[in-house]
Amino acid sequence: MREAYIVNSVRTPGCRRGKGAFAATRPEDLLKAAINGLMERVPEIEKKDVEDILVGCAFPEAEQGLNIGRVIAQIAQFPDSTCGATVNRFCSSGLEAIALQAMRIMAGYCDVAIGAGLESMTIVPMGGNLPRPHPEQVLESPDVYISMGMTAENVANRYKITREMQDEFGYHSQMKAAAAQKNGRYKEIIPTPAVRFKEKDGITVKETFIQDFDDGVRANTTLEGLAKLRPAFAAMGSVTAGNSSQTTDGAACSLVMSGEAVKKFGVKPVAKIVCYTVAGCRADEMGVGPAYAIPKLLKMTGKKVEDIGLWEVNEAFASQCIYSLQQIGLYEKRDLWLSDSDKRIINVNGGAIALGHPLGCTGAKLCAQLMTEMRERGAKYGVESMCIGGGMGAAALFELCN
Amino acid sequence: MVRKIKKAAVIGSGIMGGGIAALMAGAGVDVLLLDIVPFDLKDEEKKDPKARNRIVTAGLEAAMKAKPPLFFSKADAARISTGNLEDDFDKLKECDWIVEVVVENLKIKQELFARIDGIRSPNTIVSSNTSGIPLKAMSEKCSKAFKENFLGTHFFNPVRYMHLLEIIPGEFTKQEVLDFVADFGERMLGKGIVWAKDTPNFIGNRIGIHGIGKTMQVMLEEGLSIPEVDELFGPPMGRPKTAIFKTSDLVGLDTMTHVSQNTYDMCPNDEERDVFQVPAFVKTMVDKKLLGNKTKAGFYKTEITPEWKKIRKVIDPKTGDYVEYGKADYASLAAAKKAATLPEKMKTLLYGDDKAAKFAWKVAAGGFIYAANRIPEISDTVVEIDNAMKWGYNFAMGPFESWDAIGVKESVEKMEKDGMKVPENVKKMLASGAASFYKIEKGKKLYFDFASSSYKEVKASPKALNLDTFKAENKVVLTAPSCSLIDIGDSVFCLEFHSKMNAINKEMVEFMQKAGDYVDKNGVGMVIGNQAGGMPPAFSAGGDLAYMLGLAKAGNFSEIDSFIRLVHQGIMGTRYSRYPVVAAPFGLTLGGGCEVCLAADKIVANSDLFMGLVEIGAGLVPGGCGMINLWRRFVESKPGAAKITDLAAFFLPAFMSVAQAKVSNSAADARNKGFLRATDRIVMNRDNLIGEAKKEVLKMVDDGYAPPLKTKITVLGREAVGMVWAEMQNMRGGGYIPPHMEFIAKKIAVCMSGGDVPSGTAVSEEHLMKLEREAFVDLWKTENTQKMAENIMKTGKPLLL
Repeated sequence: MREAYIVNSVRTPGCRRGKGAFAATRPEDLLKAAINGLMERVPEIEKKDVEDILVGCAFPEAEQGLNIGRVIAQIAQFPDSTCGATVNRFCSSGLEAIALQAMRIMAGYCDVAIGAGLESMTIVPMGGNLPRPHPEQVLESPDVYISMGMTAENVANRYKITREMQDEFGYHSQMKAAAAQKNGRYKEIIPTPAVRFKEKDGITVKETFIQDFDDGVRANTTLEGLAKLRPAFAAMGSVTAGNSSQTTDGAACSLVMSGEAVKKFGVKPVAKIVCYTVAGCRADEMGVGPAYAIPKLLKMTGKKVEDIGLWEVNEAFASQCIYSLQQIGLYEKRDLWLSDSDKRIINVNGGAIALGHPLGCTGAKLCAQLMTEMRERGAKYGVESMCIGGGMGAAALFELCN
Repeated sequence: MVRKIKKAAVIGSGIMGGGIAALMAGAGVDVLLLDIVPFDLKDEEKKDPKARNRIVTAGLEAAMKAKPPLFFSKADAARISTGNLEDDFDKLKECDWIVEVVVENLKIKQELFARIDGIRSPNTIVSSNTSGIPLKAMSEKCSKAFKENFLGTHFFNPVRYMHLLEIIPGEFTKQEVLDFVADFGERMLGKGIVWAKDTPNFIGNRIGIHGIGKTMQVMLEEGLSIPEVDELFGPPMGRPKTAIFKTSDLVGLDTMTHVSQNTYDMCPNDEERDVFQVPAFVKTMVDKKLLGNKTKAGFYKTEITPEWKKIRKVIDPKTGDYVEYGKADYASLAAAKKAATLPEKMKTLLYGDDKAAKFAWKVAAGGFIYAANRIPEISDTVVEIDNAMKWGYNFAMGPFESWDAIGVKESVEKMEKDGMKVPENVKKMLASGAASFYKIEKGKKLYFDFASSSYKEVKASPKALNLDTFKAENKVVLTAPSCSLIDIGDSVFCLEFHSKMNAINKEMVEFMQKAGDYVDKNGVGMVIGNQAGGMPPAFSAGGDLAYMLGLAKAGNFSEIDSFIRLVHQGIMGTRYSRYPVVAAPFGLTLGGGCEVCLAADKIVANSDLFMGLVEIGAGLVPGGCGMINLWRRFVESKPGAAKITDLAAFFLPAFMSVAQAKVSNSAADARNKGFLRATDRIVMNRDNLIGEAKKEVLKMVDDGYAPPLKTKITVLGREAVGMVWAEMQNMRGGGYIPPHMEFIAKKIAVCMSGGDVPSGTAVSEEHLMKLEREAFVDLWKTENTQKMAENIMKTGKPLLL
């Protein structure tokens, strides 16, 4: 079978929903900046060479609706020959888009393609603009519509993930992100043009600016501060704003090419896409998804946990991320994830608790972060994984190119 | 020139200044709020405008955060600009009225007024909100022109809620200025005006503080405890539950002591001067900073045990320690509580013969005598004193009305027997053959004028229609124990509730039909309004649950069903009657009271309106078409040409309002919550409400009134079930809602969404009425609803099951 490679992988910064830098910027403009940034980084490839753009999006409607894959191809001034489609698997949508492009390449359907992820959680709210659970299904069982916060509480309660454990995990995520920001580790970020609207002398005017950093990182977070936060989803709960992912706006994308195309265009790929898989679980504890998807991935690829040199396990909530790591035996090895440890290989530059979780974008965003660090560290194998609303997990294995 | 207050300045941003600024802003006046530059600015801050305005900024913020809210709507704060007395003093030139509310210090006030005199525009009115310093002394250094425009305007705390505004004319104040401020205060600020003289602490605080001092003095003599005194001088005497000592905790012991000392110092010839010397134990408390609610310990203190249990304690005047206490146990008190009317309660208590009764008599009689002796010193008439105590201290009756209630002749005999010195003016009144301070003659309320030894008419604003006056003129055309229909002139009739808390009962529902028939035959329109007192007063605090609870317990659900049919008929009858109906709510307008208003053609509301559909607290859904009429307001509050894409965006706030029993904190807030329409009116002065509602009826008649067309209502339908059921799972999981409340909330969702029909379906009113009736009856069938209803009837508090 043919092989599929990630040639380059980039992202916009992740910026806080509502109050963040991208709140007034159209989602298409975020994705356009990411895709054009990607194309600039691979000068060997011209826009006309790209056959297809798949965009992962969790709420593909309104501004990020219609068929955002084709819309963005036109907005970003690809020729008419470049096609596009939209993919939705909620929180793994971005990774799903990259993996689908890889599979199309492996099957021989395609040679040069873009897999992307996009979500403006400010502009299209979580749940969409018109959430309408099925009135008869909810009488039967409303589980499939459960709020993500409640699933995190369920995981914490059922598997005894304490408030202290969650807060500690959240704290380290912030510390790792703050250090990475300070040390310029996020080389995959594309400085992104954005707009904001300000009232001056009674007239509302548009201002343009460039955003080049994640604006949700809190370098001065303390454990004491986190301990004071009120539970966000249950009166007597343990899940708080401080140990949950931030809701964020952002876009990310990867250029995926066949081995043949890599040779033909003379590009230097970062990593090979080895495998991608999904696994199902109970909807009311959807956060445990990675605990099923990761072992399945390792089994399919004949790898052991120890073989993996770098992990990006999405921090939708500290409770589910801790539980998932416990299940693959990594949580107890604290050196592998603590912010002050040189041996850390899990979410090395912080996770969604600090950097945000722009739903449909996250899969593509974590891929870009993983590619940067695999290259920087020379890590042979990297795994990306996340839980998915409705009760699923996804995981992908990447192998660094020499 | 027609005077207008376009811009007013309030100088001093403390709790009173902030309250006055908020009230003025609520009345649509642009306000300049000024305070001093902080004394302790660091060098680098001395040129920083933010630092220089620090005090006024903090003052405005405190006013915005105050509870209960001082603003009708926080949006009103946009009318207030802030500044300081150094950089912004010149801006006072632009102001039509300047209110001084600075610290009670004669020298500071004198200097401030002298400065204002220097820059004031010729027509600017200047007033002081001092509670005790003579105007004459304050304005001593000012020009004649200043003095002609200078007066006292004494508001009471909290400014928005206390009806009293004492106006104190200065020696030289122009009559035109006084008339203007009185009208502005009454009409624009909604206050009740009492004319006071330039005597220490004016009327309210002179009489009020005497009452507190007298009570403490007699309490120590007779050996009663603080909680006993509060029980006696609370509701049994027509006073608020906070009575004497809880009120003092609210006001602050330091403020109370200060006002008291002020009277002591400035009234050397007062026959009760020693009463104004606060007792030693109170002085000790002030020294120890036990000042009341603001220091979390005053006469009372609530301690919390490690188990989060609250223990209420009270100070023991003998030892100065806080001790636990129980209920007062006196035969006279128990009998007074049982008595039906306030005069009977007062008589029972004051003419009793146990320890409590003797104490109460000594205090009350002492208070009556003191008040009578103050005429003409602080006021020319009994009316001003009674109004001051009713509006400034929330007494149900002022001292002279109370004296009338227990019988003047009888009580004077008892006073004489007990060796009390009966005031000469009262003796003279009795000798002249007049037996009471007030009487009603030919529909007019008269008071006894000591100066002329004759009865004179109690003057009221022509805008303020008084139902008692119409009743005295025999204008009641239909009546029942809980409600009446009154002819208020010009063929307009007023439907008045007069049950306890004006709760709607079966009798009223039946009466409404009869009243409707009467008005249809004999009138042009109807006002639904009343003039109940209390704090807060109740237009109608809900529905009478006893009747339905009885039926439910007897398993007679078909009777409940037919009762709701009757209610629906009555409510919708109001909506579709051939004559205009205007509801005039104020204060508590809850449950059934709210539903009556929602069915009216128009609402003319008082700015202090606490409106909501709170039935869930009693285990029920609204049963008087409240959900239907509220939803109609939401979905029809748009031009017909515009289509609603997201009905859920309209449904959710309407649903939450009912499911969470939300109550507005003002009429402006009620409009924001959808209870009031844009076309409904807000009137600042409650006394003018019935008059304004009547005008509205006549205007609708003149405009050519046609009843609303019976149209279908667009609903969210089954999608509400999907949304609400899905969200309830999260709330239940999060421990935010108990099971029966969830059960009721889901019923509310079905009633307000039209149930199992597609989104956007236009359904008939009958469809929604059927859903409401079914939900109502279904709930009564549950044990939990019966328990919840029973609990709220007994305790007044919701039981959340």
